Amino acid sequence: MSTTVAGWEQFSKKKAGTYLACIAVALGAIAMLGSTGIVFALLLALMLTGMPISIALGLTVLSFLFFFADVPTEAVAMKLFTGIEKFEIMAIPFFILAGNFLTHGGVARRMINFATSMVGHWHGGLALAGVMACALFAAVSGSSPATVVAIGSVMLPAMVKAGFPKRFGAGVITTSGSLGILIPPSIPMVIYCVATNSSVGAMFMGGVVPGLMLATLLGVVSWWIAKKKGYPRMPKATWAERGKALRESIWGLLLIVIVLGGIYSGLFTPTEAAAMSALYAFIIAVFVYRDVPFKRIPKVLLDSASMSAMLLYIITNAVLFSFLMTHEQIPQMMADWIIGNNLGVVSFLLVTNVLLLLAGNVMEPSSIILILAPILFPVAMQLGIDPIHFGVLITVNMEVGMCHPPVGLNLYVASGITKMGISELTVAVMPWLMAMIGFMLLVTYVPAISLWLPRLLGY
Amino acid sequence: MMKYLDHLEEAIITFLIGAATIVIAVAVAHRYMSGMPIPGLQDWLLTINMSWAQELCIYMFVWMAKFGAAYGVRSGIHVGVDVLVTRLPDSWRMTCVTLAIAGGALFTGLIGTLGAMFVWENGMHYAVLNKLGMELGELYEGPITPDLEWPTWIIYSAIPLGSYLMCFRFMQVGVGFLRTGELPHHDHTHVEGVEEVPVMDATEALEEFEQHKFDKDKDGGAK
Repeated sequence: MSTTVAGWEQFSKKKAGTYLACIAVALGAIAMLGSTGIVFALLLALMLTGMPISIALGLTVLSFLFFFADVPTEAVAMKLFTGIEKFEIMAIPFFILAGNFLTHGGVARRMINFATSMVGHWHGGLALAGVMACALFAAVSGSSPATVVAIGSVMLPAMVKAGFPKRFGAGVITTSGSLGILIPPSIPMVIYCVATNSSVGAMFMGGVVPGLMLATLLGVVSWWIAKKKGYPRMPKATWAERGKALRESIWGLLLIVIVLGGIYSGLFTPTEAAAMSALYAFIIAVFVYRDVPFKRIPKVLLDSASMSAMLLYIITNAVLFSFLMTHEQIPQMMADWIIGNNLGVVSFLLVTNVLLLLAGNVMEPSSIILILAPILFPVAMQLGIDPIHFGVLITVNMEVGMCHPPVGLNLYVASGITKMGISELTVAVMPWLMAMIGFMLLVTYVPAISLWLPRLLGY
Repeated sequence: MMKYLDHLEEAIITFLIGAATIVIAVAVAHRYMSGMPIPGLQDWLLTINMSWAQELCIYMFVWMAKFGAAYGVRSGIHVGVDVLVTRLPDSWRMTCVTLAIAGGALFTGLIGTLGAMFVWENGMHYAVLNKLGMELGELYEGPITPDLEWPTWIIYSAIPLGSYLMCFRFMQVGVGFLRTGELPHHDHTHVEGVEEVPVMDATEALEEFEQHKFDKDKDGGAK
């Protein structure tokens, strides 16, 4: 469903006509490639009308089966149910519920206080605290744009008051906010595991080291710029103050300990860990922090349920779509082609990077993973790429996609908070974005970064 | 009448997600408590069979997903690719959005019908005839679920019910759009509890700072 986003100019009829004609020609060309081409052309055409991605996927599959294949259509209705009949998928609603209980301004403020007391006295103190607070909040929230809003709306005014240029603040928070999907628990990671039958526990462990590295990297960039430009530092906090700030934020931070510790020690399966974290988040938010009053609980439940239902609906339809892909043997054909042309791992990963970044322009992470992972994953397996490494690199790609112009979601959210235009904000995020792209290439070509911890823990 | 349907829809999905959390929590607690050697309690716990919890949780979430998807149409939570549509001239945009909504109604209607046929053939036909005491003929009783031993057609009826409801919601949204030109819109970035530091303050502070920075330091840093 389409909605008008402020700040996007509308095309004139002439310009729009040219664009549409170009798109039509491109789609026509794709459709000439045979039945596979028709599938993709149809999918793209439907998606461009702005209909929900889930519906576009489903309609593509239905019409393909109706016109070209001899799969009984009743099997489709059956698949719609069995597609999500897996216990692993049920981790998604639970993690969303846990995140929604703790994605609250109060929790964000506690984490900001703690982060400021720890790193505030270094160069660019508040900016470093912003990066750290985003990383901490990411560990409880799991949503990138929500992290930008929660941390940004407290941190940005504070930074401006302290004397930072707003460009600098906006750049830090926009990019740091994207840590949300790399630091576990992360919903796009669960979705990747569901789409490719990988282990959720291993994937979460795989995200820890890259997540910490990226947070450090963003911090170093901010520190360096702040030092060069001589931005203000905060007074050094005493250990007593730090202890107090830690005591206040520790309840939220324990969530990640429950999830990772619970899964690693074998106490829970990932889905049970998710259910436990939802229950824990409920107790903390309602009884310990008292951020969520009793009468708001049904609202939190309803919001989480409809968010999960949206994702589960995309998942069911994406399962249908990947069933169609396998039926048409598309991943197999791609793998054969790549191996036949001796393209090798390096160029395949490069193509993957470019493809994911392009897709990141128009879709949000979960949908991209659901559509592209089932196609790319079998090829990656044939080339001998580790499933966890592949998953982590997809996630890092998604992060970059959220921050880069023209259509990064984080950019739009930050533009809403700071009232800065998208083009101005694009310039503002550049230093951090460049660092992120460098990091993305590093993660892509150095599997050890993502695999070291899972291997060490025996996954 | 419409209000009751809305409330019922919301109540069902709110209940399902809450109940599923409790079911899994109880099942995990049960598993660990029955491993502890507490006399009496352990024996009692061992007599309770919780193996159905996982299955129940899955079915609850499937029902939640189907009805939640319908609620999502009404609240505008389903994400689409809007890069192109929002930039089109208004009259073209109208056509595009109407097409998109019609596509949604068509798909959910089709799936609802397919699902209904599937459910009917998988035991509902038998169950209805059996209840009415009519001739059963060649019909067989549909399959049942492994742990709970419920007839699957009852579980699977989430597909036709949910899809038809969703189809209805698409039509509702479509009629609303044609009348007012507005679509339901869900704000994916809303965070509770940050209102105490309203965005206006940030802007005001920014403006104030913007004014001050010129009479102090061109580099923008008040030290």
